[in-house]
Amino acid sequence: MKRFLTFALAAALFSSCSDDDDNQIVTPVTPGEMSLTLDARIGNEDFALNKDFAVAGQTLNFNKLRYWVSNVVLVDTKGAEYKVPDSYFLMEEVSDLDLSGTINDKMTYPANKRETITLKNIPAGEYKTIKFGIGVDSKYNDNLSLRTGELTIANGMSNIAWMWHSSYLFTSVGGTVKKGADSKAFTAETGLNANYKTVSIDLPTPVNSSTSKGFVLNLDVIKVFDGIDVMANPAINAMTAPLMSTVSTNYATKAIIFGSEAK
Amino acid sequence: MTMASIRTIAFWAAALLFSSCSQQQVESEPEVYSFQVPANFPQPVFDTHNPMSHQGIELGRKLFYDVRLSANNKVSCASCHQPQLAFTDGMQLSKAGVSGTALLRHAPAIFNLAWVNNGLFWDGGSTNLESQVFGPLTAHDEMAQNLYELVDELNAVPAFVSAFQNAFQEPVSSQNVAKALAQFQRSLVSAGSKYDRYRLNQTGGALTSDELAGLMLVRQKCQGCHTGELFTDQGYHNNGIDADFSNTEHEGLYTGRYRISYDLADLGKFKTPSLRNVALTAPYMHDGRFTSLEDVLDHYSAAVKPSATLDARLPASGLNLSAQEKKQIILFLHTLTDLGFTQNPDHHKPQNF
Ligand code: HEC
Ligand code: HEC
Repeated sequence: MKRFLTFALAAALFSSCSDDDDNQIVTPVTPGEMSLTLDARIGNEDFALNKDFAVAGQTLNFNKLRYWVSNVVLVDTKGAEYKVPDSYFLMEEVSDLDLSGTINDKMTYPANKRETITLKNIPAGEYKTIKFGIGVDSKYNDNLSLRTGELTIANGMSNIAWMWHSSYLFTSVGGTVKKGADSKAFTAETGLNANYKTVSIDLPTPVNSSTSKGFVLNLDVIKVFDGIDVMANPAINAMTAPLMSTVSTNYATKAIIFGSEAK
Repeated sequence: MTMASIRTIAFWAAALLFSSCSQQQVESEPEVYSFQVPANFPQPVFDTHNPMSHQGIELGRKLFYDVRLSANNKVSCASCHQPQLAFTDGMQLSKAGVSGTALLRHAPAIFNLAWVNNGLFWDGGSTNLESQVFGPLTAHDEMAQNLYELVDELNAVPAFVSAFQNAFQEPVSSQNVAKALAQFQRSLVSAGSKYDRYRLNQTGGALTSDELAGLMLVRQKCQGCHTGELFTDQGYHNNGIDADFSNTEHEGLYTGRYRISYDLADLGKFKTPSLRNVALTAPYMHDGRFTSLEDVLDHYSAAVKPSATLDARLPASGLNLSAQEKKQIILFLHTLTDLGFTQNPDHHKPQNF
């Protein structure tokens, strides 16, 4: 109860008003809703927390997967872009997270799974491409006092100490990795403006917004680590700039592919 | 958190949810503050989506001096940034924080921050005032403030509730606390020293021959880094106070700019502080190691420590200043003191608050 209130409050305090002055917004004719799902997977299996996944001679067991999806854009068959206003969303699959010492000495963030976003007020049209950023663009990343969408410094996806220039963490995934008798905790975090990457997914056939419910994209978490030996590099963050850049590029170019139309 | 405060919070959450985005027909618009650029200063560049208003600055000033911003309600920003000391604290390493333990770095001065465009903190680890403020607010050894409770506490004060409305036409929020504090700090401009009067040919601006000799020496030997009218290039340099940066304790705190850039060329580099008001801001350097300007000049003169990243502007053997040159430089540095700034009542703790 107390926890719930705190987080309802967090949502209200940190994101209740948008500060969006530079989006050109097409006024929808007959606005509709579409869903965007990012289905987390490990290869062909569904992603799950606290479950062993054997991959390439090692076993990965995850305790969190979190990332910001921002600036969603739908491109119609004529090439016109519809920018979804205030579109900053936290996607995540987490157990209870201890966030003590972030913006409060004692704080637990409740377990949550969120893979789907609802895009509202979509103008009727035939859409062929969906684009969005992984992370937070520099305008908001450089200024924690601006509010838009779900951005907040209260959920552990920001760093207000020095290492990240007082800005947001773009992505954060962690757990334990085992190889033979060896076992280690690992985390891969990304952030900093240079690592804000845009994903662009062409739909196999254009989708009509008035008849379609939306799209499912697949996020293969293993591809996030493409080219990286997790056992040898169990802590990826601002201190390991080249690895952080690899992880960011993997999210944008390798890990996310079209899945299906939403049913 | 008590049950009462949960109720208060729930109430305010509801209030926020229902009112924060609607057009409110409330009070008049905040009055735009026109930032005055001193005649001898460059144009500042800041675009942080936080337009300055008289109401915003005044609110920021109240917050700056308010101990409610700390967990134990005993520490304010001014505990470490005092106006009469050009917003420093006179301590080597402050213990004024909530934990009572010594900080790892010396509190820098706060003025002319509107011109800071290359990072705040001694290593530039923060981008702008709007983001920086969450650092001291939440750090356990500074104010250790729970941001939810802060909003609750400020909402308990009717004068704050209306001050936030007047400044932002929005309710209290931690983001607006940050914006108001940023506006106040950005309004702190120090440009009224004897040196400025000299530059602008104003009365009271005549420098003595020693001060003039000091100015010439500073131009030659110091202004490569303490550049221009701001007396800082906003850059990062190794000025030779240390030569060994192998200590990686405290997440690389002693490595300087390196811990932000992870570039070996930045080992031991720290932000160039302004020389304005420097006679008031002892002790000196990022760790407050020098107690007097004499010590600082002795360092530059003969105690520079060579290392791979020592700045090329400083010879490894030091600047080799004579006793008279040191004296003249110090006399000149005193002409950079701006009492009109440090004594400006508009910058001090507001009355009756
Ligand atoms: C307990 C002492 C303490 C308190 C309280 C404190 N500060 Fe500071 N402040 C410091 C220290 C020490 C630094 C230098 C930190 C560093 O560079 O790593 C600093 C740095 C700064 C800077 C950076 C200045 C520059 O030129 O880089 C600003 C701005 C600032 N503080 C504002 C504030 C505000 C606003 C508050 C209140 C919300 C505050 N401080 C509270 C000690 C304190
Ligand atoms: C190579 C660049 C460079 C040169 C040249 C230089 N300084 Fe500095 N100065 C710095 C840096 C960087 C710091 C901060 C170093 C630190 O804290 O570790 C500093 C700090 C200082 C401080 C301490 C200020 C404070 O608030 O703590 C004083 C005073 C000072 N310098 C005076 C001088 C004088 C006088 C000269 C010329 C004789 C000079 N400097 C030449 C870069 C330089």
